[in-house]
Amino acid sequence: MGWGVVDKEAELKRLMLRGLDGDPVAWRALLSEMRGALTPFFKRRLIGCEADAEDLVQDCLIAIHAKRATYDRSLPFTAWAYAIARYKLIDHFRRQGRRPDVPLEEASVLLAEHTVEDGAVRRDLKKVLSILPLRQRRLIEDVRIGGYSLAEAGARNGFTEGAAKVSVHRSMKTLTASVSPDED
Amino acid sequence: MKTDDLIDALSAGIEPVRPARLDPALLAWAGAAAAAAVALLLGVRPDLTQALQAPIPWLKGVYTAALAGTAIWLATRLGRPGVNPRPALFALLAVVGIAVAWGGIETAMTPPDQRMAGWLGRTWDICGRNILLVSAFAGPLVFLSARRLAPTRPSAAGLALGVAAGGVAATAYGLLHCGEATAAFVATWYTLGVAAAGLIGAVIGRFALRW
Repeated sequence: MGWGVVDKEAELKRLMLRGLDGDPVAWRALLSEMRGALTPFFKRRLIGCEADAEDLVQDCLIAIHAKRATYDRSLPFTAWAYAIARYKLIDHFRRQGRRPDVPLEEASVLLAEHTVEDGAVRRDLKKVLSILPLRQRRLIEDVRIGGYSLAEAGARNGFTEGAAKVSVHRSMKTLTASVSPDED
Repeated sequence: MKTDDLIDALSAGIEPVRPARLDPALLAWAGAAAAAAVALLLGVRPDLTQALQAPIPWLKGVYTAALAGTAIWLATRLGRPGVNPRPALFALLAVVGIAVAWGGIETAMTPPDQRMAGWLGRTWDICGRNILLVSAFAGPLVFLSARRLAPTRPSAAGLALGVAAGGVAATAYGLLHCGEATAAFVATWYTLGVAAAGLIGAVIGRFALRW
């Protein structure tokens, strides 16, 4: 299980707990995230009838909503959501008169299909950034990934705004050079 | 309906919820229904006040109530997606195991010529049937109490709810009607009656507990 999945679990669980307390913003975010995770999950398991996937996703979202009180706050969110998705898939096969043959997998497959790209990108990024000295790397991360302004990121890492600007510029140059070998 | 609209509609009206469980009020009504069924259909034993001063009916009641309690726990765990039901299943089997062991030890300590009489009592052939009859009144309320749960294995959850209904029925039957007093009798015939209620519950659960 990669870090992407672990992060995702923590984020989804946080949204779930807030949803259980009646927070509509968190609940909408959770349902949207689950839609993103469930769609590839069902499509991949409905080879030949992918058109049913959308119905199943909706069914599942309704179940997540209507049965949210069955979630145990002390347990992982993913395990709960996976059990619901698997149940809905089995139920779907049964309705069609097919023998429900749905192997029990690790619950994290529900997220793996969603975050595999995320995880890969994040890993690559980490590798590329690792060539920078620590202070410059933190600055770059804050500006380019964390979404801080130059002034804020500079303050966080002990740069003046001007020095931060120069440092980011230099770092970007170093990074560009490191990933494009022809431009030596 | 588009999925976007669905998400909008669902998140718009969200309200705080408390953890789902079997509705305790409906379970209490199931107990009342069982007691009423025993009183009206089978009759209360004439020596009730006297009998309830001895420990035997209460010991029977402890066993069958423990069956109902562990089965309710099992149904609750089965009704929560992703939760492992095993601890509750082991607890239920342990309760049966203790009763059977008790019955075995008691039989071993009984003089051989009285063993059969103690084991079969006077009502072995109607005990299971009576418990099933009473379960038929408690069962619907027990099933109804599980409405908020989401069992991903409906047959297993139905089995647990059936055992719970059987346990409630057997408790009412053992306290109010049945005069049998040996542990071997209770461990065998009561257990079989409750198990039969569980099997019927499994069949019903397959259809009634889908969501």
